[in-house]
Amino acid sequence: MTDEGPATPSYEDLFERAPIGYLLTTGDGTITRVNDTFAKWTGHSADALVGRSFRDLLTAGGQLFYETRYTSVLTLSGEVREVALSVVCADGRELPVLVNALADRDANGNLLGVRAAVFDVTGRHDYERQLVVARRAAESAAVRLRVLQDASSAFGATTSADDLARALRDSVRLALDARQSAVVLLDGSNVVRLGDDGLREELWEEVQPLALESMVRGESIMLGNLDAASARSSQLAEALHLSRLEALAISPIADEGVCFGVVISFFGRTRTLGEQSSGLLAALARQAAQTFSRMRLQRELEHRALHDQLTGLPNRKSLQERLASAITIADRRHRTVALIFIDLDGFKIINDDLGHRAGDAVLAEIGERLGSAVRGTDTVARYGGDEFVVVCEDADEAEAMQVAERLRLSIGVPLSSVPAPYGVTASIGVALWTPHDGSSVTADAALRAADEAMYQAKREGRDRIRLVEL
Amino acid sequence: MTISTAGADVLRRNNVTVSGNPEGRPVVFAHGFGCSQEMWNLVAPRFERDYRVVLFDSVGAGGSDSTAYDRAKYDSLHGYADDVLEILEALSLEDAVFVGHSVSAMVGVLAAGHDPSRFGALVLVGPSPRYIDDAGYRGGFSQPDIEALLDALDQNYFDWSTSMAPLIMGNPDRPELGAALTESFCEVDPAIAGHHARVTFLSDNRRDLARVSVPTLVVQCSDDVIAPVEVGRYVHEAIPGSSFVQLAATGHCPNLSGPDELTDAIESFLR
Repeated sequence: MTDEGPATPSYEDLFERAPIGYLLTTGDGTITRVNDTFAKWTGHSADALVGRSFRDLLTAGGQLFYETRYTSVLTLSGEVREVALSVVCADGRELPVLVNALADRDANGNLLGVRAAVFDVTGRHDYERQLVVARRAAESAAVRLRVLQDASSAFGATTSADDLARALRDSVRLALDARQSAVVLLDGSNVVRLGDDGLREELWEEVQPLALESMVRGESIMLGNLDAASARSSQLAEALHLSRLEALAISPIADEGVCFGVVISFFGRTRTLGEQSSGLLAALARQAAQTFSRMRLQRELEHRALHDQLTGLPNRKSLQERLASAITIADRRHRTVALIFIDLDGFKIINDDLGHRAGDAVLAEIGERLGSAVRGTDTVARYGGDEFVVVCEDADEAEAMQVAERLRLSIGVPLSSVPAPYGVTASIGVALWTPHDGSSVTADAALRAADEAMYQAKREGRDRIRLVEL
Repeated sequence: MTISTAGADVLRRNNVTVSGNPEGRPVVFAHGFGCSQEMWNLVAPRFERDYRVVLFDSVGAGGSDSTAYDRAKYDSLHGYADDVLEILEALSLEDAVFVGHSVSAMVGVLAAGHDPSRFGALVLVGPSPRYIDDAGYRGGFSQPDIEALLDALDQNYFDWSTSMAPLIMGNPDRPELGAALTESFCEVDPAIAGHHARVTFLSDNRRDLARVSVPTLVVQCSDDVIAPVEVGRYVHEAIPGSSFVQLAATGHCPNLSGPDELTDAIESFLR
């Protein structure tokens, strides 16, 4: 009587005490029966569970998933497998589970009920969760890195402010999934304004004050929804809404405290930029600013190599290049070219009496006057010391002499940079080159000839013009 | 009917299928978040006798062209609304009835608000203009709830079968164990699902409701946690002249849980 071994379990027992949770529901998910295991796991009594919706036992995130996918797939395919959900237990604890479910359908396919097996996956849940988090972090880092790399090579390949603005606009749109984006770049007195196609003028106007504010303060501005935009200006909110946009972010393009402009992103929905997105945006704007800084420095160096610092005029090296090219063009087109060599009379005394600083001021003043005395197409260069040279393309003798005379007169006008009676005049030599078949002249030879004519003017009493034909 | 090359591209991109009565009034069914046009399997056939029935998949779902998923474009529902307008144009539909379920209800609101010319009526099934609670508005969810959904998505779409499943489950011979949900029905590209969920559940389209000028029916389910009855009422009150019908069908998907009742409600509204 005592050693009969375990009794054959009843089906009831197999069901109630199976090591999985088991529940039956109606077609619309109302629980009709649960086993003891499920009741025990969740801390709810079986009686309390019957009549409730299985969905209502789930966390809010789980309910969303249940309603948008679980039931749809179950109804359409008759089965779901290994759906990860979390059940809220009686004590508020969340029980992570995997659910396999089968639909019972009648001959017409109508859903009669659902049988669901529920597995407690507390153990692996944390591990999976960590994997999910790690994967997300890795994917997001990879995306950010790629955006930065792509931007870096795109920025590096740009040679103008326009190109750079375009590259920045495109990389920011990509980085933030912005519906539209725009860049405003201050390039000296030139403002480069580059928006996406279809960015409305009304919106530009409303955004401009914000762009300016961001630039002046060197701070970014985020308006995450239309209410925030309304708080700034109702016209701004209206302009955004008309463009089917709801949010915007403005970031200054700044490097080491110098602000070159802003990049603006527009979003089609309410947005907040997380730490990573904001960081990425700032990194892109900073990278663009550095590229722009470098571009400007490069341009500055190129300018310096070819210009005289004191007067801002092309220097001797630049003059020689331009003269050579003017002669080549004159030869090809059979046009004349004139070279006007100017040496200031009376400059040495100013330098000796009043010092180099005064001399420099005189040179700068004369440099400016020369620029306004010549024709628009002429090139005025500082040759060295108190010598200036003007290249007049396409000028015959009469025209060249007219220009030379205007130069002589303008130089003779009393100076504002030094007190009377100090003043200068000009000894001017003009060399005229008229191409004839089979021969040419070098830039050096032309300069020597003009220089010689200038000396002749000087020898003959200064403040006059001498012409030589080449 | 002639379709331009651009039109053909649109139809391919959205896996558009046309059936039913070629002479009938066009009715376009748009599926909600997390599924595909199969969502209308029990409803669409009932319209085929009288209507020209148009079904399509959102980009990223079902048989759509996932390579057309441009994150910047689909970062708001406007991107999806533009697609709807392109489909209507590609098929030269006039006086179309747009039946949008769940998030597609708002897509229809945006499309018809932007260009109502091809729309004859809107049917919004389980619409919600904003899922997250706000001052003076109850959408039913909090921001953390939506983050939890994204977690649930990641967990359910995690590609166990190729990498981790054999390791974790100790079943290297049965990779199908990891295939989980994503088999034959309602296919969704997992790379897209997370972003799409964000766009769907973090959007706020309350301001767009008042712009709807076409006759509109709001279809409200019973016991719908995603679009509770007060949200349906809100939509009804915000859309001028709209009608409201309360179904006995429960849950968020009456197209599956009560296809007859839903069909009747739509047909009597259109009649």
